[in-house]
Amino acid sequence: MTTPLTLTDQRRPDGTPVLVAEGEIDMSNVGEFRASVDRAAAGGDGRLVVDLTAVDYLDSAGLAALFAHADRLELIAPPLLDPVLTVSGLADLATVRIA
Amino acid sequence: MGDADGAGPLELLFPGHSEMAGRMRAFDWAGTPMGDPAGWPASLRTACRICLTSRYPMFLWWGDDLRLLYNDAYQHLLGNKHPALARPGRQVWGEIWDVIGPMLRSVTETGKATWSEDLLLKMERHGYLEETYWTYSYSPLHDEDGRVRGVFTACNETTERVVGERRLAVLQDLGAQAGTARSVGEACRLVARVLGRAQRDVPFAAVYLRRPGGEPVPAAVSPPGTAPGPPPGGRGGWPLERVLATGEPVVVEDVLRRFGRLPSGEWEKPPTQAVVLPLPGETGTGPIGAIVLAVSAGRVLDDSYRTFLDLVARQTAALVNGAVAYEVQQRRAEELAELDRAKTAFFSNISHEFRTPLTLIMGPLEELRGQLAGAGEQVREELEVIRRNGLRMGKLVNTLLDFSRIEAGRMQARFEPVDLAAVTAELASVFRSAVERAGLAFEVDCPALPEPVHIDRDMWEKVVLNLLSNALKFTFDGSIGVTLRAEDGQAVLRVSDTGIGVPPDELPRLFERFHRIENVRARSNEGSGIGLALVKELVGLHGGTITADSTEGGGTVLTVRLPFGSAHLPAGSVARGAEPFPVSDADPYLQEALRWLPEERGEAGPEESAQPAAGRAESVPPVPGEARARVLVADDNADMREYLQRILAPGYRVTTVADGREALEAVRADAPDMVVSDVMMPRMGGLELVEALRADSRTAGVPVLLLSARAGQEASIEGLEAGADDYLVKPFSAAELLARVRAAVKLSRLRNHHAQWRTALVDSLQEAFFVCDEEGAVVEINSAFTDILGYGPEGLPYRPKHPWWPDEETDPEAHRAIEKAFAQIVGEEKGSYITPVKHRDGHRLWVYASFNEVRDPDTGRRMVVGTFRDVTAERLTAQRETALAALSVRLSEAGSVPEALRAALDELRGVWRAPRALAVTWDGPDRVPRLVAAVPGTAWGEPGDPARGAVEALRGRNPLHPVATGGPAGVGITLEHPGGPLALWVEASQERPFISEDHTLLAVLGGYLGQMLQRVHAFEQQRETALALQRAILGPDRLPQGFAVRYEPAARPLEVGGDWYDTVELPDGRIGIVVGDCVGRGLEAATVMGQLRSACRALLLQFADPAQVLSALDRFAALIPGATCATVFCGVLDPVTGRLAYSSAGHPPGILTHPDGATELLDQGRSIPLAVQPGRPRPTGTRTMPPASVLLLYTDGLIERRSRPLYAGIAAASAAARRGRAADLEELADAIRTGLEPAGGYDDDMALLLYRHPAPLEVAFPADSAQLARVRSALRDWLGRLDAGPRLTQAVLVAAGEACANAIEHGHRHNPGRTVCLRAAATADGLRLTVTDTGSWKPPQPEANAHRGRGLILIHALMDQVDIVTDDAGTTVDMHVRITR
Repeated sequence: MTTPLTLTDQRRPDGTPVLVAEGEIDMSNVGEFRASVDRAAAGGDGRLVVDLTAVDYLDSAGLAALFAHADRLELIAPPLLDPVLTVSGLADLATVRIA
Repeated sequence: MGDADGAGPLELLFPGHSEMAGRMRAFDWAGTPMGDPAGWPASLRTACRICLTSRYPMFLWWGDDLRLLYNDAYQHLLGNKHPALARPGRQVWGEIWDVIGPMLRSVTETGKATWSEDLLLKMERHGYLEETYWTYSYSPLHDEDGRVRGVFTACNETTERVVGERRLAVLQDLGAQAGTARSVGEACRLVARVLGRAQRDVPFAAVYLRRPGGEPVPAAVSPPGTAPGPPPGGRGGWPLERVLATGEPVVVEDVLRRFGRLPSGEWEKPPTQAVVLPLPGETGTGPIGAIVLAVSAGRVLDDSYRTFLDLVARQTAALVNGAVAYEVQQRRAEELAELDRAKTAFFSNISHEFRTPLTLIMGPLEELRGQLAGAGEQVREELEVIRRNGLRMGKLVNTLLDFSRIEAGRMQARFEPVDLAAVTAELASVFRSAVERAGLAFEVDCPALPEPVHIDRDMWEKVVLNLLSNALKFTFDGSIGVTLRAEDGQAVLRVSDTGIGVPPDELPRLFERFHRIENVRARSNEGSGIGLALVKELVGLHGGTITADSTEGGGTVLTVRLPFGSAHLPAGSVARGAEPFPVSDADPYLQEALRWLPEERGEAGPEESAQPAAGRAESVPPVPGEARARVLVADDNADMREYLQRILAPGYRVTTVADGREALEAVRADAPDMVVSDVMMPRMGGLELVEALRADSRTAGVPVLLLSARAGQEASIEGLEAGADDYLVKPFSAAELLARVRAAVKLSRLRNHHAQWRTALVDSLQEAFFVCDEEGAVVEINSAFTDILGYGPEGLPYRPKHPWWPDEETDPEAHRAIEKAFAQIVGEEKGSYITPVKHRDGHRLWVYASFNEVRDPDTGRRMVVGTFRDVTAERLTAQRETALAALSVRLSEAGSVPEALRAALDELRGVWRAPRALAVTWDGPDRVPRLVAAVPGTAWGEPGDPARGAVEALRGRNPLHPVATGGPAGVGITLEHPGGPLALWVEASQERPFISEDHTLLAVLGGYLGQMLQRVHAFEQQRETALALQRAILGPDRLPQGFAVRYEPAARPLEVGGDWYDTVELPDGRIGIVVGDCVGRGLEAATVMGQLRSACRALLLQFADPAQVLSALDRFAALIPGATCATVFCGVLDPVTGRLAYSSAGHPPGILTHPDGATELLDQGRSIPLAVQPGRPRPTGTRTMPPASVLLLYTDGLIERRSRPLYAGIAAASAAARRGRAADLEELADAIRTGLEPAGGYDDDMALLLYRHPAPLEVAFPADSAQLARVRSALRDWLGRLDAGPRLTQAVLVAAGEACANAIEHGHRHNPGRTVCLRAAATADGLRLTVTDTGSWKPPQPEANAHRGRGLILIHALMDQVDIVTDDAGTTVDMHVRITR
């Protein structure tokens, strides 16, 4: 059973790329996640927005994919993920909005 | 039943489920001076709560009239005074108010706490005035104003311990009397005296002894002087006849009616009960009597009291039996001593009767020979015949006397080093003329030996002369030879002849006394047949041997071997220098031998030619009718010694010594009638000698005549002042000396008559006698002393530490005992004691001594006079009984044959203080000795161990015949053993060599052990069968997740009983749970249990509804004998939801413990036990277990205790579950089992079953990241069952996910597809996650793999405790997180 994950690329009206993830992110599908993040980052020259509102589970592998772009990253995350983001220190580097 | 939480004010003040809490809540306080609890001071309220929640007995007194409030634990100590809630203290405890009232007043008045330990309180709480002991404290309770208003008390009843210790002391006191009584009457009086000191426990006692063919007669009573008789026309006396006839004890319940008031033994009330117990005789005989033991009115006659009285009776019987044995032994010893006295008297009489007429023949004969020197030849020849026969008769009498002396051990040898070659050659030369006259060659070949040989001259003379006389008697042709050589460190004398020889069959009896070889050719038929026997005895006294080699018709060689040196001779009998050696007693031998040679009769007096050149020491015949006085001459000048001897010898027996020291030793060893001493001598002079003699009471009376070359008045005054009796100045005339000596001896005899009489008396004592001075030095002893201890008068004085004291190093215990006894002698006026002592030859003895202080009438100094006797045999008997009893106690505790053997070996080793004790069999396939048991710390040894040889010597021996083994010394015995013959071997300790008594003891113990081993073996087999049965029927093979069970059988070591538990996994995923209890215990109950269990299992699979299952089981149980009234709890649990449906057939309610500690009872669905009314509908109860709650099911063995209400036990179990709720389930099970275990273990079957909801989650998955989502899903479900909130769920999911990811990535990167395990388990306040894999983690390397390092950070941040253990087997991540609810 592969971990369910849906990834959708969107763009804000101002052109900022937004990656919307839905499902769970762990070691088994982190490759797919990382590729999408990298692609979304390459698509714009300014901010990168990743929307994790519909993600139930995010582990250190997923965090690693995000850390690579921390300096320009804006995260939208559910309250459940708040401890993970805080503990890992990602919340200190990136902009995190708890939805 | 609800729990106590959410309670009102009364519940807060009187918390808990205890009976007293209930009573206090229901109590109408307003109706008492204490008023409504709402108005109570805080201290009272706090004290109430402490009291009610304590399991320790506590209570408090409150208010002016000290009203009583107490808890459940104290309620039991109140007896029938309960309920006494809020009653004034004086009303409740009226009978002890005189003691505790003042104490309480002191606390309320001073505010100071009291402490009382083991205080005697005479209580009336069970319907009689009872002797009780208490340890308690009274602490003040203050009200809001700081006034002391009440007293708080924590107390502990110590009656059992205090009374128990006191009784034990009585038994020890009795035991200590063993071996002291010398008569049955004394034994009874000893018992009475001990019991007289124990009136608290035995207020009255009477010993009755059975007389042959008569009524039992009273022998002793305690307290002394009481003589209760049955009132006339009453119900009769003690039922002694019945007890004697049946051998069974009888309890007399109507003592008051029969005897009125017996002595009450320091108690207010006289005894109402008494026990009459038999006094068993030695094994196999009926009772020897009976003992009446009154029961103190202050204690009930319970089991421990009965046991105590029984032990008193047994100890009494042992003492009386010991005394009987002693009396018998004493009679036997007296008879033997009487016989011995008769024999000795006979021999002395013979000697006297013979010697006196002989003297009167020989004396005048010598005169006649002189007067008739010129008479006719015939007259002279006849005189010669008379003389020869007189001499011969004298020789015979002397030989007989020698024998009697040797037999009585009174042969006093005096060994001195001599030139044996010279002495022997000279002796041989005496015989030369006779041998040559017989026509035989006489070859004497005695070259000088390399060193002197220690001999007693008289004895050696007899040896040589007898051998020569013997050779001459049986030799007709050829030669007689005498050779002396040094061979193998010995002096070897051979006397050979070419005579008729000895037939081979006669050789072994050659040295037998009075044995004569009949019908052989000899020069004479005369002879008593004791010559060679005497030679053998004399050689033996020298530590030597004699052997004979002979060819019939070819001659005989007799070989005497004497060791060089003096080490082999008894100390004290060795003298120093050698003096000229005059042959003294050859004449009789020679005269006799010459008479065998008829042709020479009547020639010129043979005595002249045979007389040795040296002069004879005693040449004048003694004065008839009076023993000659003995004079000791001390002078350093040899010429002077000889001169004095020549003057004195005609009238006195003279001994000479060369200085004062030797003189002193000689006097101490055997005091002469007087001492003649020079003043000037080396080593010790005459004046010093006199002083030393006077200082010692034993020698103070010996008269001393001093001789000196110094003339003048001063010298003589100095001598007389020193204590000399007379003084002679050289030169003196012989007549002068003789006159002084005669006067002194006469005076001495008068003076010493009394002393001699006393000495004779003391010596005739059967018991050892001794006199000690102030310092404890032994200064006088008698011959029995020497017989018992081996130390003779020659070593006196014996100063402490006396040589017979046991060694402090090797036997410290015995050493302490004798030190204590010695302190008694030195410090007390009189007394007696038993102590171990060491004989001179090293063996251990026990003596019973008594002593008295006396004042020396001369000096006024304190002296101690004592006697003792050897009680070793009695001690050994007592020891044997003790050892047997100890062994039987030890064996009764053994559950298996090896255990029994180990216990037995330990006992054996203790008994003999043996370094090693082994048990060995040969039953292995290789028939090689196999050690089956050994005392811990003792080894069987390597193959070369000599102990193996000792043990191998036991193989094939008849059972129960002790065999002594040598090198290493020990004793062994074989016995029947379930696995073939078994050998026990005990190594002798150096201190305590084995004696025949020990062999008997080993046989007794071995026999008993053999029987016990058979019994233990049978028991073992029965138990194995039972265990197999139990394993087949007791519990399920595998418990489902989340369960823990414990089981304790009552009938240990059977390990099987009537209780059971069971779990059944039903097809729909639910779990059937059963806990049941059949009536009874042991194998029978187990059989019933097995059937019910199987039936219940089958019914659960069929119905899956508890009430239906039990109803069906009702009908089944009705068919099984013994199943009626079994109780069963049956439940069906949904492990997903925690819903439990249950029904109880008379079983105690299950206990549900919530994570917050609240407990509730599953008391719905209750109905009657099985098969009582089959067909009656059974109800069902349901309860959904909250997350992290624990279900406890059990049988009544866990909670039921004598004299405690059931609900108290249930409350205790609830409390235990509450306390342990945070622990792992297995730990909780142990905590409950041990927490409720009564002292001494469970005395009923006990089963308990625990389930914590939800059951732990266990997921095993292949190391593949694709599995992670599935694992997470399962964990999320499980957390849902536990009611974990979303944040906790997320934290646990991430931590577990990281650990699993690590396991997959690191642990298995080279071995993908291997298994990772996740386990999650809940406790009341947290949960534990464990991830296990079989690989090894790399230490985190953030720069290489940044996000993995981050994973660990996450785990640590989200969990409260993380432990990562990596070893060869793999890695385990153990995580713990607290749950706050």
